Amino acid sequence: MNIEERKDGEVAIVSLDGRLDGFTAPGFEKTVRAIVERGDTRVLLECERMSYISSAGLRALLVGARQCQQNGGKLVIAALQPACRSVMEASGFLTIIDCHDDSQAALAALS
Amino acid sequence: MLTFAEEILVLLLDDEDGVLLPVGKTALDCALAGSVLMDLAFANRIDTDPERLVVVSPEPTGNASLDRVLKHIVDHEEVQDTKAWIEDLSSEAGTIQEHALASLVAHGVLERQEEKFLWVFRSRRYPVIDGKVEQEAKKRIADVLFSDEIPDPRDVALICLADTCNILQTVFDKKEIKRVAPRIEQLRRMDLIGSEVTGAIADIERSIMLAMAYPMR
Repeated sequence: MNIEERKDGEVAIVSLDGRLDGFTAPGFEKTVRAIVERGDTRVLLECERMSYISSAGLRALLVGARQCQQNGGKLVIAALQPACRSVMEASGFLTIIDCHDDSQAALAALS
Repeated sequence: MLTFAEEILVLLLDDEDGVLLPVGKTALDCALAGSVLMDLAFANRIDTDPERLVVVSPEPTGNASLDRVLKHIVDHEEVQDTKAWIEDLSSEAGTIQEHALASLVAHGVLERQEEKFLWVFRSRRYPVIDGKVEQEAKKRIADVLFSDEIPDPRDVALICLADTCNILQTVFDKKEIKRVAPRIEQLRRMDLIGSEVTGAIADIERSIMLAMAYPMR
């Protein structure tokens, strides 16, 4: 998985490209932890190019969202592909983590 | 850190009598099988999705009980889904339980007492000698159930196992548990292994019913 980071005002944007699974989830967790630790607690995950998510990926998302919430911020998701959306809907994750159709809508929600 | 099997057994043991609270055998067997898979998943040795369970790393965890199951999965030629693995491993629930109880005794959480009755039959009890572990597990569960905060994945997994064994109503006030039923339902879906435990129990119970209805001649 390729993970890219950038900022848009106060929001940290993390762009995910590839599979979020047991092999890549530790790297993702490390990235989000570093972002929160430097004080950026509003995080947008761009998932347009995320092709797959496993149970390890879901756990990593939950850990990241929890870290943001515990530090007074929020983690939201944008542009989920149908396959990933289906897994996240079935597992109830979308009742916990807000998901938006695109990055603009997600940024507006975080602002 | 305790394993999930150890934590669920601590919650299931009556503190004074040292015997397990009444739980359906299939539910307990599947919960113990699921608990080992959860520990392997949290140790990043396996990963799952709704279709399959795969090995991420064959490297031993250092826990003999987990490593025995990990080796079994690594050596298995066919890839199968989580529910199939829970059904397979449920036949080893007795061994998983023995290892977990022995570990709790070794950690000073439980005491092992052997008794004889009718001069012949042996019974084993495990009274709790350090209640801190149980109290911490109950607090973690309560903190998640009675709030809307984003939960820690480990607490979600523990709640799945506790609900599978139907002990939330025993550990907490029944009315309170009824009030948070939607939250429990939400959490139960969030752990993919935990949600497959429910399916495995249904499959095994269906097989037992069929075997009883249509016995082999």
